[in-house]
Amino acid sequence: MQAATILDIAHISFLDMINDMINTVGTTGARGTLVRNSMESAKKIEEADFASFDDYLRAIEEGTNPITRIEGKAVHVGDHVFGLPDCPFAPSIRNYTEMFGGLPPGYSELTEDSNRPNSAADRLRVAYGACVSPFCSVHQPMRSAIGDRIKIGGRKIQIYQLGCKSGSGVKGLADRWIKETGISRETVEKVLDDNMCCYYLRIVD
Amino acid sequence: MKKVLIVDDEEDMVWSLQKTLGGGGLDIDVLTARSGEEALEVLKEIPVDLIVTDIRMPGISGLDLLVEVRKNYPDTAVIVMTAYPHPQFRKEAAEKGSIRFVEKPFDINYLRDVVSEALNGRQDGFRGTVAGIELTDIIQITCLSRTTSALRVRTSEREGIIFFDSGNIVHALCDGLEGEDAFYEILSFRGGTIESIKGAESPAVTIERNWESLLMEGLRRIDEAGRDAAAGEVPVPETATKEETMEDIKATLKEFTDIDGVTAACLVGRDGFVLDSVAPEGMDTEMVGAIASTGLGSSESMGKQLGKGGLNMCMVEYEGGSIFLAPVSQEAFLVVVAEDRANLGMIRFATKKHRDVLSLSTVM
Repeated sequence: MQAATILDIAHISFLDMINDMINTVGTTGARGTLVRNSMESAKKIEEADFASFDDYLRAIEEGTNPITRIEGKAVHVGDHVFGLPDCPFAPSIRNYTEMFGGLPPGYSELTEDSNRPNSAADRLRVAYGACVSPFCSVHQPMRSAIGDRIKIGGRKIQIYQLGCKSGSGVKGLADRWIKETGISRETVEKVLDDNMCCYYLRIVD
Repeated sequence: MKKVLIVDDEEDMVWSLQKTLGGGGLDIDVLTARSGEEALEVLKEIPVDLIVTDIRMPGISGLDLLVEVRKNYPDTAVIVMTAYPHPQFRKEAAEKGSIRFVEKPFDINYLRDVVSEALNGRQDGFRGTVAGIELTDIIQITCLSRTTSALRVRTSEREGIIFFDSGNIVHALCDGLEGEDAFYEILSFRGGTIESIKGAESPAVTIERNWESLLMEGLRRIDEAGRDAAAGEVPVPETATKEETMEDIKATLKEFTDIDGVTAACLVGRDGFVLDSVAPEGMDTEMVGAIASTGLGSSESMGKQLGKGGLNMCMVEYEGGSIFLAPVSQEAFLVVVAEDRANLGMIRFATKKHRDVLSLSTVM
């Protein structure tokens, strides 16, 4: 007899809570709540100042980098461009879809809403096409907000979300941030062939 | 010394008025003319403060004279008198800008009072041209100052007149319409000139609704017409930079906080992030925006759930005041925080009035 899958109730309720927010306060309101929540969570992560970019990369390998602690180990593909092999929300999505056969209703509208120009996306350099699911509205702002608390050699850094890939393999690219960083579309596409998320780290002058 | 010109083809009437008005304790200089043509000749030579004219005269009628005076001597007030007080005359005289309509025969003391009132009413105030001001602003000022007057509004093709009695809008005429319909029609004029006729007495009372409600309804109709015409498109001035627009937004939000009892006004993205605000120090506007977005979202969802359509505005009343939430575009909404003494009608009116300006910020 095969053992039944044990559900992670925290994952299930989080996904359903997003659905409830969409129904009660609307899609954009729900997105705003997710983004704000992520920004608040980021404030709880300790600030860090790395002596050099190499030290920053070493901290990723050691799992002590503040960004790594919330999303796992990213791969530096060169020129400050990173790829993240695993989406941190993959277990939640798998858990839910295995049990209920699909994600809750309203998710595609929330994803679409996340990619529309908005002040939070401007502030955090996320979205603009790079959201492929509602979880991107949690993950990308949180990473950027944590990035705002990190320095390298005493200089601030900024994270730019360049692209993301859904579980079904659909890529979403943020042309606005691709253009602003000067990273080619081809590079981002290539990074997303092997990863779920692609971002750029800029050291502010 | 004020100059009053009496115009009538009846010699006895002219003589009588000249004698009575000139010697009745009024400090005025009385001039006379036996026809409209003669009156115009006098006006070419001498500035006159007030004309008292009969309607029926050979040649230029009193009403034609009134039109000429309004056109060429806008500072001169006109009182029309007639022995044939047909309602149509009364209406025409009012439309053309007379400040009073006096029926013959009249008690001479009554006319003396009317003349005195008309002259005194024109003593104070600035004169000149103010450009760029909106008709709704002028209407508001007139109502708040509780004056009795008329506003004549002209475009190159159309004309209308609104009458005020002690600050209340009591009558309006425009393109054969009268009452509220005429008022809304005048409010829909885009650009033009506005002439204030101080002391003008309304020939009728066709409007009873209070002025705030009239203005709100008028602006709602304009909004509706604009939406139909633009099919949802929001015009963006090509020359305005984002910085300039944001300055306009700040100034507009300030107009809300200038209303007595309003403590804060915030423009908030639908996602709850504050785009701009005017608020007292110490108020956490980011938190206000976040909470307000869920309040607005909940209200919209409720309307949707109950089949009530889109949300226009919602007000939440507390023991210590009220909070207004009003969508200004697909992307943003306005939050106004008011104390309980605030005039809620003014806030509602300002919201309607500034909705277009505020919506611009969200498309930049």
